[in-house]
Amino acid sequence: MSAETHQPLSPTTGEPMTTIARRAKAGLWTLIVMDVSGTLALIISYTYLWSLNVNGGWAPPGASLTDAQTNAVPAKSSATFAADWPFWAIFGIVVLATIAMWFGYREGKRGNHAGLIVGAGAALLISIGGLVAQWMQISTFPFGAGNGAYASAVLLLCASNIFHFLMLIFLLTGIFNRARKGLINKSVYFQAQLMSYWMVWICIAFLLGALCTTFLQVSPNTDPAIFGTFQQQQ
Amino acid sequence: MTTTDIRPSGQPDEPEAPTNRPPSMHRVKMWLRRPYARGILVLTVVIGFLLLPLCWLLLAAMNQTGAPASPIMRDIEQTVFVFTLISIPITAFVFAVLVYSLLGWKHISGDEVPADQSPAIRSNTIGVVMWTAVSSLLAFFLVVWGLVELAQITANSYGTIPADEQPGDSQALIVNVTGQQWVWTFEYPQYDGITSETLYLAKDRPVYFNVTSKDVIHNFWAVELGVKIDANPGAITQTGVTPDKLGNFNVRCAELCGMHHAYMETGIQVLEKKDFNSWAREMGGGKTA
Amino acid sequence: MSTATATANVFGSEVPQPAQHGQPGGIMRRLNFVTGLIGGLALATIAGVVTNILTPSGASTATFAPAAPDYVYLAVLLGWVIGFMAGMGAFVGPIRWLLGRDITHADAEYLAGKDLGWKRYWKFTTDHKVVGVQYLIMVMIILGFGGLLAMLIRTELGVTWAEVFSPSFYNSIIGTHGIAMIIGMIIVVMGPIANFIVPIMIGARDMAFPRLNALSLWLLVAATPCLISSLFQGGVQDGWSVYQPLASQGPPGMLGYQMTIIVFAFSTGVASVNLMVTTLTMRAKGMTWSRTPILVYGVFAAALMGLYAFPFYQYSQILAMSDRIFNTSFFDPLEGGSVWLYENLFWLLGHPEVYVIIIPSAAVLMEILPVFYRKPLFSFNFAVAGIVGVVALSGLVWAHHMYMTGWAPAVNYPFMLSTEMISIPVGFLVLVAIGTMWRGVVWTRLPVMAIYAVIFNKMIGGVTGIYLSDVPVDQYMHGSMFVVAHFHYMLMGAGLFGAMGGVAFYFSKMTGRMLDERAGSIGLWTAFVGFQITFGSMFVAGLQGQPRRVLQFDSLFNISNWISTIGAYIIGIGMLIFLGAIISSWMYGEKATSNPFGSKSLEWQTPTPVPLENFAVLPVVTEKPYDYGVPDPYQKELAAVDGDLDTQKVGSQS
Repeated sequence: MSAETHQPLSPTTGEPMTTIARRAKAGLWTLIVMDVSGTLALIISYTYLWSLNVNGGWAPPGASLTDAQTNAVPAKSSATFAADWPFWAIFGIVVLATIAMWFGYREGKRGNHAGLIVGAGAALLISIGGLVAQWMQISTFPFGAGNGAYASAVLLLCASNIFHFLMLIFLLTGIFNRARKGLINKSVYFQAQLMSYWMVWICIAFLLGALCTTFLQVSPNTDPAIFGTFQQQQ
Repeated sequence: MTTTDIRPSGQPDEPEAPTNRPPSMHRVKMWLRRPYARGILVLTVVIGFLLLPLCWLLLAAMNQTGAPASPIMRDIEQTVFVFTLISIPITAFVFAVLVYSLLGWKHISGDEVPADQSPAIRSNTIGVVMWTAVSSLLAFFLVVWGLVELAQITANSYGTIPADEQPGDSQALIVNVTGQQWVWTFEYPQYDGITSETLYLAKDRPVYFNVTSKDVIHNFWAVELGVKIDANPGAITQTGVTPDKLGNFNVRCAELCGMHHAYMETGIQVLEKKDFNSWAREMGGGKTA
Repeated sequence: MSTATATANVFGSEVPQPAQHGQPGGIMRRLNFVTGLIGGLALATIAGVVTNILTPSGASTATFAPAAPDYVYLAVLLGWVIGFMAGMGAFVGPIRWLLGRDITHADAEYLAGKDLGWKRYWKFTTDHKVVGVQYLIMVMIILGFGGLLAMLIRTELGVTWAEVFSPSFYNSIIGTHGIAMIIGMIIVVMGPIANFIVPIMIGARDMAFPRLNALSLWLLVAATPCLISSLFQGGVQDGWSVYQPLASQGPPGMLGYQMTIIVFAFSTGVASVNLMVTTLTMRAKGMTWSRTPILVYGVFAAALMGLYAFPFYQYSQILAMSDRIFNTSFFDPLEGGSVWLYENLFWLLGHPEVYVIIIPSAAVLMEILPVFYRKPLFSFNFAVAGIVGVVALSGLVWAHHMYMTGWAPAVNYPFMLSTEMISIPVGFLVLVAIGTMWRGVVWTRLPVMAIYAVIFNKMIGGVTGIYLSDVPVDQYMHGSMFVVAHFHYMLMGAGLFGAMGGVAFYFSKMTGRMLDERAGSIGLWTAFVGFQITFGSMFVAGLQGQPRRVLQFDSLFNISNWISTIGAYIIGIGMLIFLGAIISSWMYGEKATSNPFGSKSLEWQTPTPVPLENFAVLPVVTEKPYDYGVPDPYQKELAAVDGDLDTQKVGSQS
């Protein structure tokens, strides 16, 4: 007999939704740990390769300050470092989407259902815009995948961003749809809440990438060893 | 009146006020009275002595091809000896417990769930504290030993001086080692850059190796000299040693590097200094250092 | 706007339900392993054909090999994984969530395999007990595959007068053996035992995220053909650590390895999430942390380590795949890549992973000891401290695998310190084990006899690890057979034999039949004897100076290798006997009672076979675990002595 409570219960296990929400929150933390490790792997790759400048191959060929004695690619190349502002613009887009979702979650918690739907919907549209922007950035990079370690690291960071955007779009579509259907409401709002927390982490992930690409461009190792020999680059 | 009596004067004989102190080490002695305690201790000592020959046997296995041929290798062997020696007490004790639990304390077989007969010991502070203390002390000793040893060994090699800043006319011999699939090449920059596929060294002359690779990761292992360092493509790594024994030794590749990794071996020849110099001259290396 | 009008009886209460779309289970009624196979093979074929058409002829990779086999093989693998998971119905859950079609209780019961009989083992079933059994099957397959490769390896090394296999094939089988065994050992306890037993042990009905549970298993099933198929695409031709840049020289089979790891990382990540949240939030009422059995701690610790560490390995393979397919240069030194980057990313997982293997095995044994010695676990707090210590230090020791790489000679000092330090918490676990055996009357059944094998092997493995942790000694030992013998003593000698004890213990609860302990013991001890011969002799070969991963070597090492190979065949026979015991007992063994070992733990208080909902009424825990034993007879002696002394008063007459 479920006479006593008005609190919503989980249809599958009969437990109160607050219990389900607690479990889901714990699950979200573990997923964030996983993604932190993965993002750190990319950040470590970027910074470690930047610091080593193995065989002078960090910078794209046209951007090297030193003679690229060892690269097979001709020194006269138009490959350069990427511009800074698109990274920050895309970071800004992600922040906007997070704010929108956060607004939606807060409104939904207060009972303003329309606010929830608007917030989630706005976050979704902004994220789609972010995906497009990220794709445009990748396709206009002044280097290709084979243009050295910097290019490789930046491309993988951006690929990770794309992956995050795709995940966001899927999740936000679900949040938006479920909000519309009333499955996320004043008494059961944890999915909107967790979505907002997740998006804060996503902001951090994008921020880390933007910091790397902006402040770690020219390698500090200006005389790396020449591949296969026992001499340093001059 | 003189007296040899040392008691406070004037006091009649009185027994000392009882302090209730138990006889010294009485708990230890009580514990030792238990049959299993003595049994396990005896077993520990017996097993310990059985394990003792390992200290020498391990070294015998390492020395089959002429090792040790350098102070580093001697250091390594001494470490193996000492580490084995100090591991034996704890290992023997654990093995003794295993043996005693099968032979000393009762055991029951069969399908019926036996009635509870064992003492419900949830913890034993003395045991836990002693184990923690002993294992921590041992670990600490191992760490200190290892750190000191490592510092001594790295003091003998250049470590991080880049290859082209190393002095060309020092007392030490510099050898540039290149690994490539599946051959070792040794270059002597101080001797007009002569190259060889066998490693020639001079006895009692310190040698510094700069090591790199032209393709994949190899590992330069001068077996009996006890030195080893990866040969990385795109980087130059360093190590050093002073061979102190004449003879023929082995260089083996210790990192899987492709199809013929197993065959990537070559020889070391440690010669007297004058023999080494004549070899260098024969190879065309005029400039001696 | 959907207001639920229907209610359902969920464990005794009427709970409002969302709308029921179709029959319970919906489209999942029609999806199973066969549809998964069809989906996987179909999408693999389409992807392969399309990629083949789209790849320009004459395209070549960075190493001037033809690119088409690479691209096509990768497309086939991707198609297989996605198609198989789609055919199993893995995407149904997320899509239903997206569409707002939440599952009802009837749906959940269908997904859990209610009334489906044997078919539930062939579907995307969420019941943790089904998943546990499925994992057990997968473990046996994967370990069997690895074991077969081990026999091939030892045959090659034993035939010292000829080359049985070509060098490239030999290099492939050692790498594939390594990764198959590693994968098998990671899941051998975390798969069957953590999934089947732990939820019951903590008094729950299922895990926190049942659909994620099924997902983690079927991802493993999807990954396995990726690894096996690599052997047919030229193999891996590198060790299990697939160091770059040798790996990029390899044939397309390397992509099979990379895909296996990428998919397997998702499988373990999801399983870690599930296990951690379950143990954190679903323990029974009254089960405080000091009343939680040690197996739960061990499983949680392993899940935590896997969670933070596996993504590094996964990304190392993603980057390697990118180097190969897109010509990036993460690990290509000519173009700015660094081999040390690869090694760091790899070993950041590579080390915690051995604790992921060893801690659950040790924890299972700590569960078994009290039951068969009929006394409490010695110093439960110390055991927890040991596990916590290992987890805390696990992330700080990885570069001891890189002492000889020259990447940063100065950091060899702190890593030597942290590595020697980690031997202390591991030692705590040994103390807990022998403390529990101390003065205990042992009931000599198979699960507990494994302990003797484990502790013996763990001491040898541990001490030899101490040699390796010393940097100067590692200058001799690294890359030699000494290392191989050391880690086999730890991972196989302590890990696998421990897991065998655990499987023997929980066999009756999981399969409903009693394990033939006579045959199992013969198998285990035969394997044990063979193990000592094989790896004891391998230590000698390493000390003599034999490098690892070589198929031909100096005649100096002949005798050690002959002896090792004979020992390996003995291991093989022993393991086959053990496997035979498992299979024949599973099929024909006598039916098990619900608690044949008289355990006081929650999971043994359920009937066998365990009902779908585990407990009719969720239990409430009121006592510490391991409540076995009788009062210590020596306490009376002590009390008597102390009492006599205490009755003498100081300086006065009584």
